[in-house]
Amino acid sequence: MVLLSAPFDSAAAAPPRPPRRPFAQTGGAAALVVALGAASEMLGAAPAGLGRALATGAAHGGLIGLGWLLATSGAPGWSGPVIRLGVAMTLASVAARLVPWGALAFALMPLLLLLEVRRRPALRALGLVGCRPRHSLAGLAAGGFLGAHLLITASLTFGHRAHTSSLAAYALALAYDVGANVLSAEWLFRGAVFSWCWRRSSFWPAALVSTALALLRYLADPALPPAAEARAGAVFYLGLVGLVGCALRAWSGSLLPGYLGGLAFFAAYRTLAP
Amino acid sequence: MIALPLGLVAVLSAVMALTGQGADSVLRHLYLVPTVWVALGWGTVGGGLVGALAGLLHAPVVLPAVERQGITSQTLDGLLSLGLPVLTGLLVGYLADGARARAARLSAVLAIQRRLAEPGPLEAALTGVAQELRLTLGARRVALLVGGDVQTALLASVPVGTLVDPDSAGAFTLATGQPVTSPDLRGDPRLASDPTPEAAPLRGLTLPLASGAGVIGVMAVEWAGELSRATRTAAEELAVHVGLAVENARLTLRQQRFAEELAEKIEAATGRLRELDQAKTEFLSVVSHELRTPLTALQGFSELLLRSALPPEKAHRCLVYLHTEACTLGRIVGELLDLSRIEAGRALELHPEAVDLDALLERNVELFATEHRQHRFEWTRTASGLALHADPDALDRMMKNLLSNAVKYSPRGGRVLVSASPAPDRPGMVEVAVEDDGVGIPAEQLPRIFDKYVRVPHPDTASARGLGLGLCLVKALAEAHGGRVEVDSLPGKGSRFRLLLPEVDRHF
Repeated sequence: MVLLSAPFDSAAAAPPRPPRRPFAQTGGAAALVVALGAASEMLGAAPAGLGRALATGAAHGGLIGLGWLLATSGAPGWSGPVIRLGVAMTLASVAARLVPWGALAFALMPLLLLLEVRRRPALRALGLVGCRPRHSLAGLAAGGFLGAHLLITASLTFGHRAHTSSLAAYALALAYDVGANVLSAEWLFRGAVFSWCWRRSSFWPAALVSTALALLRYLADPALPPAAEARAGAVFYLGLVGLVGCALRAWSGSLLPGYLGGLAFFAAYRTLAP
Repeated sequence: MIALPLGLVAVLSAVMALTGQGADSVLRHLYLVPTVWVALGWGTVGGGLVGALAGLLHAPVVLPAVERQGITSQTLDGLLSLGLPVLTGLLVGYLADGARARAARLSAVLAIQRRLAEPGPLEAALTGVAQELRLTLGARRVALLVGGDVQTALLASVPVGTLVDPDSAGAFTLATGQPVTSPDLRGDPRLASDPTPEAAPLRGLTLPLASGAGVIGVMAVEWAGELSRATRTAAEELAVHVGLAVENARLTLRQQRFAEELAEKIEAATGRLRELDQAKTEFLSVVSHELRTPLTALQGFSELLLRSALPPEKAHRCLVYLHTEACTLGRIVGELLDLSRIEAGRALELHPEAVDLDALLERNVELFATEHRQHRFEWTRTASGLALHADPDALDRMMKNLLSNAVKYSPRGGRVLVSASPAPDRPGMVEVAVEDDGVGIPAEQLPRIFDKYVRVPHPDTASARGLGLGLCLVKALAEAHGGRVEVDSLPGKGSRFRLLLPEVDRHF
């Protein structure tokens, strides 16, 4: 029992703040690539969509890198994995644009991430642990329910319908969710941010902070339709997905149920068509 | 059981969808039924979840109306009805949780008091209390440290087995009475623990166990995951109860121990009184016998001298017998008088003078050697010749008692060794030792042999005569001289009595 067996110093100084430099370098590099991609897209300096793909990959790579730094407090040795993951994410995004089935490269990202964290037990604190089947099922059920609810509500309210142009397009969109969209959200918001806040506070403040940051990320995403009802719907559903993800993370101790829930939700969302 | 209210929610939604109910349908209020049902049974989490589910299921009915009509009183009512179930579920669940927590705390307090009232060692009762606390608080580990000092305090932990560091958070709380809270024990800079964090934070709380006498212990609790304010409050309340209950248990135990000690003392005193009574009865019997024997001899020989005209040799022999028995009678009477003086708390009358110890010892040894032929007396004169300033009569009685005992308790004969020398371990004292190889004295009897009326029973010495006063008088006389008497003995090996007397006069 730590309270009785570990030496205690009531006057111990707080640990030093994590160095800002790794955060600035990672964020700066990601922002630079995103800006380059966006600029090339606007200026038409690159083939259509390539700049956007570059920006998307860099943005998700940056989110994963920031999550890594937050989880490890910027401890030495961060640069290798962060650069590898960022570059891999960007390449996957570019491949998705250039190669017909290139988006499937996104599906390799979870494996690459697991390979990188394999030798770093400190990252288990993010929730990179296994979970019981019922936790996974609960995540799938919650995400599936919210996704179905979105489809029904959008259908009844706005006349939208569940439709996919082709199975291939649907699979590629799902691959993006598996390797970028949902992965980076779970990794950074439910993994790093929620865990960081939860350790210093309690569940609700941690859940609200991490969900609010996740909503900001989605609202800043140019892929989100600009219509007010779409943004209101995004806040409502992604807020719920975020809170449910936090609850699943706290309940199971693992990121997996929330990740599966996010995938189930986006699997439904990708079928939504006006 | 949760399937029933969830089924009710599903049925309600299906009925509303199939019958084309609008946002203002009266049926929407029925969502409150399963919500309250679950909230009462599963608390805040259950009530909130089912309320949220009801709201979500009602949303596809309300939102299209909002889209079509905009914000009107009807659609506003519909929008409010989306949030009402979740708010109701949370509120009812919160109240139900509070009531359940209070009931659980009360139940835990009763269980703790029952545990501590159980007979048996306090440590076992504390383990039971720790188990109750762990269940009530939903904690991973609970430990109770009871005592003023961390090194000697009683420790009870569940799960069993933890080390206690004298500089730990628990020891800090025990020393200062201040609680320690840690939101995550793995990353707390105040704790020198393994910094590798787990997937869920490990919350920690130490609380002082206080009583009227101050801090009497510490309650340390560790939780994995969430620690709600309600749980923390419950822990604080329970710590107060545990402190008082432990103090009560300790007082009860102390009282029981005191009562047991008192009962033991009374039992021992009663036994001693019984022994004394028995000894006095035996003493009277022995005294009667001891007095009658020389009196009978005196009577018989005096009558013989009076009635018969005996030849001078026989008459002389009778007179010798008469003298011997009169001496015996005188010795018995002298011992009885000394005993009465001791019992009355009066000092024994002594007439000290210079005594030639060698001569006194030699005389006694020769006397006993003559009377007890089956014993082999060994006596070595001291090299320098020891002189004492003592009462020669008292010294003589002490020697006679010691030699008499050596003879009595060596019924099969044997060696009796007498020696005198400066005491090697007591400067300024002379040691006179009488050693035999007789039956010896059991260790448990040794503390009592200098008490009056005490005679150590042994089958081989049952026929030995005596009042049980000899050693008591030796001790009293030795102490009256400023000395003491000591004994070493082994059953079956013999005894060695050491008479220690001051070399120079200090008391006269």
